[in-house]
Amino acid sequence: MNYKELAETLVERSLRLGADSAEVYLQTGRNLSIRIRNSDIETIQEAATAGVGIRVIVDGKTGFSHSNDMSRSALDDSISRAIAFARLTTPDESNVLPSDAGYTEVEGLYDPEIARVSMDRKIEMALKVEELAMQDPKITHSSGSSFGEREGEIFIANSKGISKTYRSSFCSVGVGVVAEKGDQRRTGWESSARRFFGDLESLEDIASGAAQKAWELLDPQMVRTQRTPVIFDSSVASSLLGGVISAVSGERVLQGASFLQNSMDQQFATSLLTITDDGTIAKGTGSSPFDGEGVPTRKRVLVENGVLRGFLYNTQIAARAGAESTGNASRGGYTRLPGIGTHNIYLASGIHSQEDIISATDRGLLLKSVTGYGLNPVTGNFSGGVSGFWIEKGKIAFPVEGLTAAGSAEQILNGIDMMGNDIDMNRSFASPSFRIAEMQIGGS
Amino acid sequence: MDKNRIRAIPRRKFLEMSMKGGLIIAATPSLLGHLTSCTPQSAAPGLDLEKPVLDRVIAKALSRGGEFADVYLENRISRQIIMEESLFRSGLYGISQGAGVRVVCGDKTGFAYTDEISEENLMRAAEVASYVARNSSIITPVNIATAERESFVSVSQPLNEIADERRIEIMERANQAAMDYDPRIKMAKVDYYDQVRSRVIANSEGIYLRDELPLLFFIVETMSEEGNNRHMSRERVSMHTGFEMFDRHTPEDVARSAARESIDMLKAEDAPAGIMDVVMINGWGGVLIHEAVGHPLEADNIAKGIGAFTGKVGQKVAVDNFTLVDDGTIPNLRGTINFDDEGTPAQHNVLIENGVLKGYMTDILSAKQLDMERTGTGRRQSFRHIPIPRMTNTFIENGTDKPGDIIASTKKGLYVQSLSGGSVNPVTGVFNFTCREAYIIENGRKVQAVKGATLIGSCMGIVSSIDAIGDDLDFAPGICGKGGQQAEVTCGQPTVRIRGINVGGSRA
Repeated sequence: MNYKELAETLVERSLRLGADSAEVYLQTGRNLSIRIRNSDIETIQEAATAGVGIRVIVDGKTGFSHSNDMSRSALDDSISRAIAFARLTTPDESNVLPSDAGYTEVEGLYDPEIARVSMDRKIEMALKVEELAMQDPKITHSSGSSFGEREGEIFIANSKGISKTYRSSFCSVGVGVVAEKGDQRRTGWESSARRFFGDLESLEDIASGAAQKAWELLDPQMVRTQRTPVIFDSSVASSLLGGVISAVSGERVLQGASFLQNSMDQQFATSLLTITDDGTIAKGTGSSPFDGEGVPTRKRVLVENGVLRGFLYNTQIAARAGAESTGNASRGGYTRLPGIGTHNIYLASGIHSQEDIISATDRGLLLKSVTGYGLNPVTGNFSGGVSGFWIEKGKIAFPVEGLTAAGSAEQILNGIDMMGNDIDMNRSFASPSFRIAEMQIGGS
Repeated sequence: MDKNRIRAIPRRKFLEMSMKGGLIIAATPSLLGHLTSCTPQSAAPGLDLEKPVLDRVIAKALSRGGEFADVYLENRISRQIIMEESLFRSGLYGISQGAGVRVVCGDKTGFAYTDEISEENLMRAAEVASYVARNSSIITPVNIATAERESFVSVSQPLNEIADERRIEIMERANQAAMDYDPRIKMAKVDYYDQVRSRVIANSEGIYLRDELPLLFFIVETMSEEGNNRHMSRERVSMHTGFEMFDRHTPEDVARSAARESIDMLKAEDAPAGIMDVVMINGWGGVLIHEAVGHPLEADNIAKGIGAFTGKVGQKVAVDNFTLVDDGTIPNLRGTINFDDEGTPAQHNVLIENGVLKGYMTDILSAKQLDMERTGTGRRQSFRHIPIPRMTNTFIENGTDKPGDIIASTKKGLYVQSLSGGSVNPVTGVFNFTCREAYIIENGRKVQAVKGATLIGSCMGIVSSIDAIGDDLDFAPGICGKGGQQAEVTCGQPTVRIRGINVGGSRA
């Protein structure tokens, strides 16, 4: 089937059936998942799928329908449903679709090689990564390893002249293990996810990473409730800073539900904090040539040396705010209307290694795991369950778990006093380790 | 490790359709089925594959070996309307239809699915799924025949007889009640959502089942503002039932409940940090037990020998008067299922009785691996997912304490009235929760609202630290996530008190 043509045809049919403007978001995909446990296959899943989401605007009202039945009659019915549903909603002049603003070239989104690698080799990789992780003498059980891949195409067409498509791929390999010691039981999981098969990290590194995560916090001790410096390991930075990203969503700002809604161009964080969203990074797992409604992606600085520089917009929210779309329309698949989301988020690196930060800390906490909802975008407050290592006199002293950490936006964002240089740009939320001067720790 | 998580955000999908809402409908043959009635045999014509076709698909699935195969056909029609800032922002209508074929061979599972329900596509899926069973011995499947199952879902006002204007009216009433509650309510969001899920299950044991589950999910979120203080709160109701749900839970009640929390929490101070006694509200407070004890009692990690409760059946794991039940048969609740997505009848499963571990929640695979009974808890998010052990309606049985006495006898502690949600690692049993509304208890009285409290602990710790169980069992709806799959569940409990939970706040 020629999906590009189909998408364009469905836009035309929507207009004929009564829509003033229309957008078709068509998604096709294929995925494979292999799970291994105890040196044998646990599950193999494979499927191909396609679906379409149709957004119509009638008299300024928005209706939406989705279907994975691609027959002509079903799609005509979907269009009629969307139009009928639009009539129920409230007219709003901000209900508009984007015009064609060109195309951003992004390298390295699709690797044809993934599909060519044999099933046996993929099974072999998952078997191997488990075997390697189990070789660690401190590891007692496997909770399973996996190989996963997916590839697909997105087609977007609208009545303002957009008709775009891109193809992308994704593969991953990972393993989870358990370390038991007496009554203690700890889990560790590590994986590597890339757009290109050849870029996957070595199975040895993934296996040893998972094993280390499982045993490194064995024999934890408890510390008392106190205020102390807290170092966020690069792997847990997003649990804190994800709330900042959520708070700069243009929709949240319009609703008055962001602690940063009145902070544009103001210094709300320490000058060590610079955050960029970039949809154009070659091979980036969050990269794409255009966003969920066809607007070209770009690189944008959201926070510059602690000063708020930009909110995130899709077309509709931008129209309400009197701004331009920033290419941040997210789409949770063809079944959803556009929301607001980011591409690849990264922090500007500092000058310190994590070792420097630890040795500069007389007494404090190095966080390796954070649970909970992270920083609350409405209030800016943070509270979570944490585990990691206690630091005494600039050295790691012992593991800790079952602690809580909390603080206000002011304490946390203005409290970042050391920024690391240990950033891994392969993460879609990339951050170095950093230190917060003081947080409230809950313990015994 | 997969974390099991109840999410705070509502899932945006699913509904059923109405025909009286002034809709323009292209009268295609596939639609006439939806229009004529909501009886199972006509609601989802895509599921009308003849039994011999399904027999052939099952035989194909087992053609390379394996001891069990099943076919799951599904049709889901969903409808959602969103109102924000007193405007109807969008209306969504969705159809999702497809089929999954599974082969079980020893501990191995092969699975494939297709969006298009046809014999050709199902045979291809069966071929892919059968790959996992290469070189094992071959069995002959039993030809399928319709099996009988009891229904625990009753409908007096079918969703397909409700005009869309009535849905709109319900939403307007909720929005009005929220905004009228107090001038400090600055924003309300009303999310109306309903679906009908039709499913056909056929397997190599000869079972053929078909039914249809309606579901309503109604959510009101409100945000208050006063000076620099803001509080966002939420109230949800959800049942497998018809539109009569709104007679039992009026939109005004739902909205006022959300608005009350938003206003009361404007006075909140930062929560303290440290270990304290915690009194958990009845109903939604049960989400803590859902995470901390429920997930670790799902049999998949037990069968792997790594779950926190592995090998503890028959042992004392909790305080004497603690009884935990999972029951998919409670009429019309959100977690009620009639039969699970493998065809096993839903039942009343006592998991822990008077502190003694009685059993786990199984699916067909883990029941076989553990040589245990099937408990009617093998569930799947959709035809795109394999069944895994899941909770349905999970609750702590009533005790004998009076809720008022539980608070009155707490010298110093935290009263938790509302939780955003939380998660657990089912292997270690370590959980965490975020409180949305909580109060400091001093000398037996709630004295001060506090915000930003996190609760953490371990499953074993919590069930041995419950020292008071009330007599006011209630239930509340939730969305449960596990292994990348979502399930509709209900959490329930009477008021309970837990001694010594680590509370994370920003105040010393």
